[in-house]
Amino acid sequence: MSCPRTQHLLTEYFSDDLSKVTQTEIEKHLLTCDDCTAELESIQNTQSRLRQWQDDRVPHWDRGKTLFRQEHPGNEQQRRNWFWQWLPSAASFAMLCMLIFNTSISRSESGFTVSFGTADDAFDKNHLELRLAQFGELQQLEQNQMLQDFLARMDERQDGNNLRLMQAVFDQTKQTTAESFDQMYSYFEQRRQLDLENVQVSYQQLVDSDFETLMSMQQLANYVRYPGDAR
Amino acid sequence: MSFIDDDEALIATALNGSSYAWEKLVKRYEGRIYNYGLRLTGNATDAMDLMQEVFLGVYRNLHRFRGDAKFSSWIFRIAHNKAIDMNRRRALIQGRTFSIEDDENGEYLVPEQTTDNEPDTQLSKGQQNEEIQCMLQKLPMEQRLIVELKIYQSQTFEEISKMQEISENTAKTRFYAALKKLKVVMEESHVLS
Repeated sequence: MSCPRTQHLLTEYFSDDLSKVTQTEIEKHLLTCDDCTAELESIQNTQSRLRQWQDDRVPHWDRGKTLFRQEHPGNEQQRRNWFWQWLPSAASFAMLCMLIFNTSISRSESGFTVSFGTADDAFDKNHLELRLAQFGELQQLEQNQMLQDFLARMDERQDGNNLRLMQAVFDQTKQTTAESFDQMYSYFEQRRQLDLENVQVSYQQLVDSDFETLMSMQQLANYVRYPGDAR
Repeated sequence: MSFIDDDEALIATALNGSSYAWEKLVKRYEGRIYNYGLRLTGNATDAMDLMQEVFLGVYRNLHRFRGDAKFSSWIFRIAHNKAIDMNRRRALIQGRTFSIEDDENGEYLVPEQTTDNEPDTQLSKGQQNEEIQCMLQKLPMEQRLIVELKIYQSQTFEEISKMQEISENTAKTRFYAALKKLKVVMEESHVLS
């Protein structure tokens, strides 16, 4: 290291509050001074090497607990003794209270409920009413849902029935119409036969009548022709 | 009692005699203090001694902690003082300090290593940490403290100067001098290896 400014510049370089001007000045110098640049680089390497420290684990020790307990004799012990001394009494008292107040613990969907004696009738009543109202609402909802489902099914079924009925009517109508045509045809045929017979009979009668008329005319003519003869 | 979490609450509870709070407080800082000790003393035994002294000091002075500064700053100030005291005591009693001085041949002494009969500490040390410890031991105590505070505790030169009761410029100069020396040590170790 031969640059006389190296020590001063690098001491400043590692300052916490390095001003912009000083920093610029140092950097400008570093651009032109190989000695300072090399020195800075090696110092930075040293720093990096130091920063590679990884914390070791602390070996087991008592963390001053022994001393602490010595310095606070009976403090923890007193608390512990106090606790164990009063625990049976507290438990007995709690049991007695539970018996006197007729304590009951019930479990519901919303959690546990602690009730005391009959004083909670109002609470029970209200609770029951609330539950009943909830049940009623639930039932009503279910019924409405069922009704909706039923109506939907009915609609569906009704549509099917109507379709089937229309189909049946249509088939029936087709069949009936054919039968009707057959009947009409036979009827008209029958009527035609009857009419023909009637016409034939009538014609025969007419012919007979004509013949009679002719005969009558002939008799009349004969009569007319021969009356004088007869007188 | 697991809801107690911040330092102030733990301190208050510990002062009321709760060993649980005290243990929690110690557990929170013992790692940092122990590693601080490792870097300053260079060996696990001295680091443990220092850590125990620090927590003893913390315990004795806990009622004096007012909460003006952060508890971490306070505990490291105690650690700093204890480290200097310990170094001074060792120098007086055994003629040995944490720092490694040149021996008669002008070579650096190897820092005190943990022995094989201390498997727990031996195993917990990485090669990397050992090398850094060796490097740091080659610095005088005042330079090592500056490096510790600046590099590992991330303190500003202003904070360091207040703690060490020196000027900021002296702190800066010492820090740069320490880095220069460490650079030489690193270069020498590379040449030797």
